[in-house]
Amino acid sequence: MKLNTKDLIGGGMLLALALIGLWLNQDHTLGTARRMGPGYMPMLTFWLLAGLGGFVVIAGLFNGPDPLDKWTKLEVVAVPFGIIAFFVAYLIAKQFGVPGWYPLGLALLGGCLALSVAPGWRPIGLVHAGMAVFGLLLEQGGLMVAIIGAVLIAVLAEPTHRPKGVLGLVVFLCVLCWWVFIKELEIRVPLWPAFLGN
Amino acid sequence: MELLITNLAHGFGVALSFENLLFALLGCVIGTAIGVLPGIGPVATISLLLPITFGMSATTAIIMLAGIFYGAQYGGSTTAILLNLPGEVSSVVTTLEGYKMARKGRAGAALATAAIGSFFAGTVSTIIVAASGPLLTQVALSFGPADYFSLMLLGLIISAVLAQGSVIKAIAMVVFGVALGLVGTDVQTGQQRFTFGIPELSDGIGFVPVAMGMFGIAEIILNLERPESRSVLTHKVGSLFLTKEEFRRATPSVLRGTLLGSLLGILPGGGASLAAFGSYMMERKISKYRHEFGTGAIEGVAGPEAANNAAAQTSFIPLLTLGIPANAVMALMVGALIIQGIQPGPRMVEAQPDLFWGLIASMWVGNLMLLVINLPMIGVWVKLLEVPYKYLYPSILIFCSIGVYSLNNNVFDVYMTLFFGVFGYLCSKLRLEAAPMLIGFVLGPMMEEHLRRAMLLSRGDVAVFIERPISATLLAIGALALGTMLLPNMRKKKEEAMAG
Repeated sequence: MKLNTKDLIGGGMLLALALIGLWLNQDHTLGTARRMGPGYMPMLTFWLLAGLGGFVVIAGLFNGPDPLDKWTKLEVVAVPFGIIAFFVAYLIAKQFGVPGWYPLGLALLGGCLALSVAPGWRPIGLVHAGMAVFGLLLEQGGLMVAIIGAVLIAVLAEPTHRPKGVLGLVVFLCVLCWWVFIKELEIRVPLWPAFLGN
Repeated sequence: MELLITNLAHGFGVALSFENLLFALLGCVIGTAIGVLPGIGPVATISLLLPITFGMSATTAIIMLAGIFYGAQYGGSTTAILLNLPGEVSSVVTTLEGYKMARKGRAGAALATAAIGSFFAGTVSTIIVAASGPLLTQVALSFGPADYFSLMLLGLIISAVLAQGSVIKAIAMVVFGVALGLVGTDVQTGQQRFTFGIPELSDGIGFVPVAMGMFGIAEIILNLERPESRSVLTHKVGSLFLTKEEFRRATPSVLRGTLLGSLLGILPGGGASLAAFGSYMMERKISKYRHEFGTGAIEGVAGPEAANNAAAQTSFIPLLTLGIPANAVMALMVGALIIQGIQPGPRMVEAQPDLFWGLIASMWVGNLMLLVINLPMIGVWVKLLEVPYKYLYPSILIFCSIGVYSLNNNVFDVYMTLFFGVFGYLCSKLRLEAAPMLIGFVLGPMMEEHLRRAMLLSRGDVAVFIERPISATLLAIGALALGTMLLPNMRKKKEEAMAG
């Protein structure tokens, strides 16, 4: 067998997305070809996507071999661990009645950090974790705190960083972002933590 | 002809206003910088800067964003020649001959050829855009909804056929993009579709989070995974002047490259990189000096560099005349225009003459600026490369985060970007192309509207798409394009062209 693993997974993903789409589309009125309802175009699109995804899967059985990169054991374990951490963090945050988008942010942060236990996933895990931290800190902590938090997490993705360099980077980015976004572009975002009451 | 001159004069009047000149320059400088830096491309940068353009007039915003786009083509060639490091995909082929020339001590000549060839190509293609724009617009005004639908379908097919890698997977990504574009409120009934009750999704998924996630954030991670290989500049740049012999050899290649690039740029999905590859293949086949290829032939720099810049300019034609984006950058331009309240399409020439002619004139002005920015200041740009990527990526991350937040002042957009960053990484690992998806995503909602309108007018008869001559022709071309890809011979040729 000449399995093309990449195509099998990629096609399978598209097929799965199409099936989910078709399932969700049941709520929408189809209408007729003449008077199309909200569900008509999605129906066409998702059927087409399902067909193409299915085709990629079937073709993937023969046009390989194109294996995925080798995963270490830890990397294999880290993926479900990250997904579980995402949902656990989300449910806990909801349980405690955390408002707004904070549960989603916490869940993304938890998932990304959990994924980062495997060294191979640190670039993807920690860069995204930095972004999640930025989202979590921005509105209450202000822009400066959000930048510091995000940078401190994101630099962990690259093992050659040294404390001095990171400090310089943080200061540089804080000043630059203040100048560009606050002073020049005047975007509406708190600069300092909310508890300082500015 | 006279009308063209009057219009261009009007355009120059707009482009030469202080504000527009300033932002064209800013765009060109930013474009050159990101062109020099590997790992951040025009798509990510433009999506990053989109929120900033809200406060500007539409004309100024588009002039700046366009400057970034073609500035990147210039900057990308600098590092390709000096360091064998293509700053952009479109300058990959420039490394083949350009770096060899640098090793022979002719780096300066290679840089000058690239810059002057690009400038010449930019000038010619600007005229092409100016001349063909109004003509095509006239044609487009006679389009009915069915024709529009077929045109967009054709655009999507060609962008998939010309995408890198498997055509089927590219088409699947286009369709997935269209599906993503359906999220949000249905325009005709007001029903919420696929929004999961999230109010932020009722206007649809924002294209900035999608583009920034899939092109900006995912790219950071892919770069981090690659071991950093930074070659230090070891060769002297040398004299920037060409010898008579070099000039004589480069001229025909520039002319051929300009022609080929202008043609390929108009095709959806074609754009700069395809033009550069195509021109290199052509020069290697027909140049009198083809035996020198691989050892630093000036034709291999002149042709592709002219071609990629010509293509970058002419890829504005489908956008400006038909409202159809030819590549991912143009898809972002559609977004920028819609944010400004302008529906891109054939009516733009009439309704927004300042924008249309100002942009065209500014392309030429921008090319002139780039010549000045690039040649004498080459040392500055090379210095920029000494900034290690480990300092660069946190900065990109922060800029992306702030930029995307300031769209709606909502952290939901930040999380959305994060999500598409992960998705984009996954896609690139599975060899699913992001660019066709973005084009499908932008065109999806428009296609749905035209399809509905066409079917309403035809009372539900699908035959309308083949009964109308324009629509039938467009569909035939699309079928032909798909058909050629089924021929094993053509597919092989495409693979060769893509592999350079």
